[in-house]
Amino acid sequence: MGRPTRVAAASLALLMSWVAEAGVPEILLVIRDHLFFPSTLEIPAGVKVRIVIDNQDSTPEEFESYPLNREKVISGNSRTVVFIGPLPPGEYPFFGEFYPKTAQGKVVVR
Amino acid sequence: MFLDSVLLILQEILEAALLLSVLLAVNLQLGAQVSEARQLGGLWYAAAICCGILGAAAFAWAMPTITGWFNDVGQEVTNAGMHFVIIACLYVHCRLLRKKADSERMRSLGAGLTLITVIALAITREGSEIFLYLRGISGGPSGVTSAVLGAGVACGIGVSTGILLYFGLLSLSRRAALRVGLALLSLFAGNMAAQAVQLLIQADWIPYSAPLWDTSGVLQEYTITGQLLYALVGYEATPSLIQVSSYLGAMLLIASTPLFRQHWWSGKISA
Repeated sequence: MGRPTRVAAASLALLMSWVAEAGVPEILLVIRDHLFFPSTLEIPAGVKVRIVIDNQDSTPEEFESYPLNREKVISGNSRTVVFIGPLPPGEYPFFGEFYPKTAQGKVVVR
Repeated sequence: MFLDSVLLILQEILEAALLLSVLLAVNLQLGAQVSEARQLGGLWYAAAICCGILGAAAFAWAMPTITGWFNDVGQEVTNAGMHFVIIACLYVHCRLLRKKADSERMRSLGAGLTLITVIALAITREGSEIFLYLRGISGGPSGVTSAVLGAGVACGIGVSTGILLYFGLLSLSRRAALRVGLALLSLFAGNMAAQAVQLLIQADWIPYSAPLWDTSGVLQEYTITGQLLYALVGYEATPSLIQVSSYLGAMLLIASTPLFRQHWWSGKISA
């Protein structure tokens, strides 16, 4: 799978699916080659969101965001969950603390 | 890579280093006053640090499993639990350090064990991230040497800062040192409580609430000053109401101990 295809696949996966039992929208964030896919997550304002972080690298990474007050280690080749919101509109940058040069992204709340 | 490693590891080390130096200074200053405190010699601290490092390695090793607990929020819940145990042990430690009692041996043992737990858990929490980071880097594409070098430099800076605080406290009069030291311990407990609550919000165990204030325009958390204040007193630019109230609650818990009252409110120090 070429990079554009992979990015497209990741973007597709971003399509929010409502978790039936909890009623909390879920969004997928992939870590690959120490980068976030997609690097911009768009979520609606005033809604709690469950971010499923899928680390496809073999090395651990730490999802961190100062404006979101979030910090969580994701082991290599594993998935985990971080809840954010409900948030007012705005931009909330996040980064991978272990590879901050490349692993950068933001949550855009509209 | 070098600078990233220094900053990341320093961030993890600072909190434990500062806590350790405050506990050392307080116990030393109390030593002249409280006989059992004198017995909390270097061995207790060495044991605490060793337990902490072992705990950090074990926590890092078990991280993939722990993360999966409680529907993928095991990391937050376990960490929050450690924070609460730290607060509880700090409280008991302060209570036991007050003055002579009938069963001095038991008191001394209790004070030592709670001290070990506080320090070991503080090191476990922060140290596990260092282990994970270094393991991650060693499997990464490049920069292993600079990362390890960065770790060394960060250790140096962290330990030096702790030593600086320790001697800073000792340079004060005994009364002032105890006052400042105890105040820092109560702020540390507040910091732990606020962090624990934050983790439980992240895990969705406590409902989210909007920040009470936003001081990121004045002081960003990621600056050096921000990090130092975070390590020392738990500075956060956008805390929520429940974080602020749990911070105050834990602070008051430590401030309610006879030891604290004796040095802060009674005006004179009994011999």
